[in-house]
Amino acid sequence: MTAVQPGLASGPGLRELLAGFGQDGAGGGPVITLSVPAADLEDAVRRIAAYPGARLADVFASGGSPAGDGGPVTLRLVWGLDADRRYLITESLVEGDSYPSLSAIAPAAFAEECEIYEQFGIRPAGGRPLNRVALPPGAGPDWPRLGRAPAEPPRDVHAPHHVGGHAFEFPFGPVRQVAVESLYYGLVTSGEELVDLYLFTWHKHRGVEWRLRGMTPGEALFYVERTEGLGAVGNSWAFAAAVEAALGLEPPPQAMTARAIALELERLYNHAAATAALCQSTGLVIGQAAAEIALERLLRVNAAVFGHRYLFGVVDIGGTRADLDAAALRSDLPGAYGELERAAEALMSTNSFLDRLEATGILTEEAARRLGLVGPVARATGVAADTRADHPAWPYGEFPLAVAVADTGDVLARFRVMLVEAAESVRLIGEIGRAAAGPGLALPPGAGPGQPASSGLGWAESSRGEALAWVALDGSGRITRARLRPAAVRNWRGFDDACRSQNVFTDIPIIEASFWLTVAGTAR
Amino acid sequence: MPLWTLRGLRRGVVTTRYPARPDASAQLLPTPPAFRPEVLTPRLADRLAAVCPSRALARDGDMLVFDVGACTACGRCRAEAPEATAASGEFELAATARAYLVKRIPLGGRPA
Repeated sequence: MTAVQPGLASGPGLRELLAGFGQDGAGGGPVITLSVPAADLEDAVRRIAAYPGARLADVFASGGSPAGDGGPVTLRLVWGLDADRRYLITESLVEGDSYPSLSAIAPAAFAEECEIYEQFGIRPAGGRPLNRVALPPGAGPDWPRLGRAPAEPPRDVHAPHHVGGHAFEFPFGPVRQVAVESLYYGLVTSGEELVDLYLFTWHKHRGVEWRLRGMTPGEALFYVERTEGLGAVGNSWAFAAAVEAALGLEPPPQAMTARAIALELERLYNHAAATAALCQSTGLVIGQAAAEIALERLLRVNAAVFGHRYLFGVVDIGGTRADLDAAALRSDLPGAYGELERAAEALMSTNSFLDRLEATGILTEEAARRLGLVGPVARATGVAADTRADHPAWPYGEFPLAVAVADTGDVLARFRVMLVEAAESVRLIGEIGRAAAGPGLALPPGAGPGQPASSGLGWAESSRGEALAWVALDGSGRITRARLRPAAVRNWRGFDDACRSQNVFTDIPIIEASFWLTVAGTAR
Repeated sequence: MPLWTLRGLRRGVVTTRYPARPDASAQLLPTPPAFRPEVLTPRLADRLAAVCPSRALARDGDMLVFDVGACTACGRCRAEAPEATAASGEFELAATARAYLVKRIPLGGRPA
């Protein structure tokens, strides 16, 4: 376990990279946008992927015609250039039915290639089979989509799996147990050891991005916040920041301070919940009770400070809605965090617990980088990526962050990273909270000094990692396309890799608890 | 394991005596709205029905139909018309029949 202080210097090759695309300089903003002809996309992806520290953060499409008349689709790739503290967006207009395969160069793009085929009917060249990711079997051409329907339905996700020899397929879900989200596991096993695993998440797909079209950002925020209930602050901050970038709004410092405190409170209660889930999955019921006491107290801190146990209604476009009760924060947080600290100390000296975590669900740093994983899952493999440090929004840039990383990539490493992050969150809340002096935390929507723009990218470091949102607005300020990319979207693709790393059946719940993802976040 | 037993004994009981005694933390929970019939008008009822994301509110003639079973206590109706709504404070919503959760509230307000 080490703490890394990320460097502040810009990468020396950025200007050279951009010059290769005919662009002079990176400009002063944190987001660089490049227009790349679809024919050159393959070469562009190779060049950007080879740039030191570049990671593919998201791929999505917009445009297209629901009427199926073949309207052009714009393909956007969002790259995190973390060393340079920039995001790079490439925009490519796809006129026909296909585009160069991106996952052949950047494997992290495969899930999005499948999603884009489902939603927009365009597919990567090469004819590689695509999986079903969001829409259920039987979703015909009339099913609500962001674009036109594909010519053929995608194959079911289990189609490429071959079960032979002594192995058999064990179906589990989508209804699993009380108060656990719908998720279907296809477990291929020889009896104890897990041979293969696939997931269906479409039972929970709600078409949120489709529903947001035509709404005002203020109307949409309500649904964005509820897309993933355990990530309300992270996702709504990313969405609000995207709208603010599009409109040129700059939230007042007090509001940003309140957002940061809410985000750290969200991280705290999620890490406490993950700790309780780890105890439950290892059969340590007394440890689970101890962690749940901490969780309940942290949720009550949220309610006392911001008026909602799950921090709904805090973030607004251009600021914050909920006022912050600083006195409640000062008086209640130390006791609540003390519960978590004491439970964690006891857990870290319980060998029967640690034995179940050690060397379970191993992910390598190479896999984390290849799949574009984020958050504690990536940091536990040694990837020191954290948008609070790499792409800091105010006030994070003012308070140096020690990014928690580990290098073994197993469940124990993820647990340790979460515990260090929880301590860091409490420290940050204390420091940021002292800086919040002004009354009135909200800027009324529309009162900003900015001027309308067409689109914007926003981000926040949620408890699960980098949450991204991209928003396009029309001239009347209504949403034409909203892309929501919670951290869960990235990290589920690493889950099956972790499960296959010489684990047995009973390790799966432990690995799932250590990832602490939501189905809602990915099946939005 | 003795560590956890001792720890549990030292920590003592943390659960509350609810329902024998009220739980103080209940006041922190979001609860469904309570409506003031004397303020509700047909136009206001339509506005409330329009903002309700879970379609728990609808107008039926001179009645506001409130399906408490569909309400998620999101607070949008309270934000839309604070003069006509308040938090009910009611979170014990179990009923022996689904129909008992549907309330019909007369629109007794004078149209503006």
